[in-house]
Amino acid sequence: MTAPETDALRPMTEIQIQQTRDFVNSLNAKSQTYWDMVAVGDELWRDLHITPELVILYCDGVEDYNPWYEGWLMNTWYGEGESPFGGAIVPPMLVSHFVLSVQFDHTKPFAIGSIHTFHDSEIIEPIPVGATVRIHTRAIDKFVKRDRRYVRHEVTVTDAETGTRYLTETRDILSR
Amino acid sequence: METSNGAPPAPGLITRETPVGYELIGVTKKAAIQLMGSRLWGRFNPNHWDPVYAAETGLKAPIQTGEMSSAYLSEMCVNHFGRNFFVNARMVCKYVAATLANEVITTHGIVREKAPKGDGFRFKVEIWAENEAGEKKTVGWVEADVEV
Repeated sequence: MTAPETDALRPMTEIQIQQTRDFVNSLNAKSQTYWDMVAVGDELWRDLHITPELVILYCDGVEDYNPWYEGWLMNTWYGEGESPFGGAIVPPMLVSHFVLSVQFDHTKPFAIGSIHTFHDSEIIEPIPVGATVRIHTRAIDKFVKRDRRYVRHEVTVTDAETGTRYLTETRDILSR
Repeated sequence: METSNGAPPAPGLITRETPVGYELIGVTKKAAIQLMGSRLWGRFNPNHWDPVYAAETGLKAPIQTGEMSSAYLSEMCVNHFGRNFFVNARMVCKYVAATLANEVITTHGIVREKAPKGDGFRFKVEIWAENEAGEKKTVGWVEADVEV
C-alpha cells in the first residue's frame, strides 16, 4: 500500500503542503505519550469563559444550528439569545470537549496520537452563554486492557462565580 | 416535526405517553475533513485531519474526535427531550470504532426503559451512531426526566 499524500483528502498547493508538514512536525517533535504525562492523583483545573463566539465555533464544527445556542449571529452580532431557560445556553456536551485541555499540563506540548474512548457524563444544569466555568480534573486510574494503555479521569464543571455544579464526568483516554 | 425558527419543541418530542420501543429520528452528518481539522475540534492532533500522520500511527484515514460523535448524538437527544436534556440528564458514550474522514454517520436511539419518577417518568434510551454500512462507531445510552 502506498503512503497517502498530504493533499489526499482536500486540494492544496505546494506551499500549503509544506506548511502542513512543518506544522505536524512541530507538534510531533516535542510530544510525549499521554501515559507518561499523567500520574494517578494528578489534580488540575482551569477556568473557561464560554463566549458566544466559542459556542458558535463549536456548533458550526458539528453542524448543529439549534437557535438556543446563539448569543452571536451574523448581522445582529451580540444578543441575549433565546432558549427554554431564557437567554442562549451552551450545548449539553460542549464543556466535555474542553476537558481535554485541562486533564494534562497544558503548558507542555500536547500528547498527539492519543484518542478519547469513553465518557459517562451527568448533565446537571444548563450553562448560560457567557458563563465562566471551572473545569476540575483528577486522574483516578491508569490501566492496560488488551495491550492498550488507558488513563481515567474524574471531572467536575462548576460556575466559577456562583459554584453552581453544571456537569460531572468520568472519561478514558487511550494513550500511544 | 414542525419547529419554531428551526428550534426543537421546548418540551421535546418524548412525552409521558411515549412507549418503550419508540425509535428516535436521528441526525445524519458527513465526516468532512475541513470540520474535523478545525481549530476548535481536531487541529491540535493530526490524527484528526492529516492523512500522512494518521497512516504513520496505523490508521486507514484521519479519524473524527469522538466528541463530534457525542455532539451528533446529543443533538438528536435535544430534539427529542428538549429542555429536559439540560437538567439532571445522563449521557454515556463508548467509541467502539473510529469514524473515518468522508464517512456518513447517522445517529439512532430506541427507548429501552421508562421508570415512574415524581409526576412523570425517567426514560432510558439506547443510542448509537453508525456509518452507511451499518457499522457502529459509538454506542451508549442516555437518561432524562420527562414531566417529572
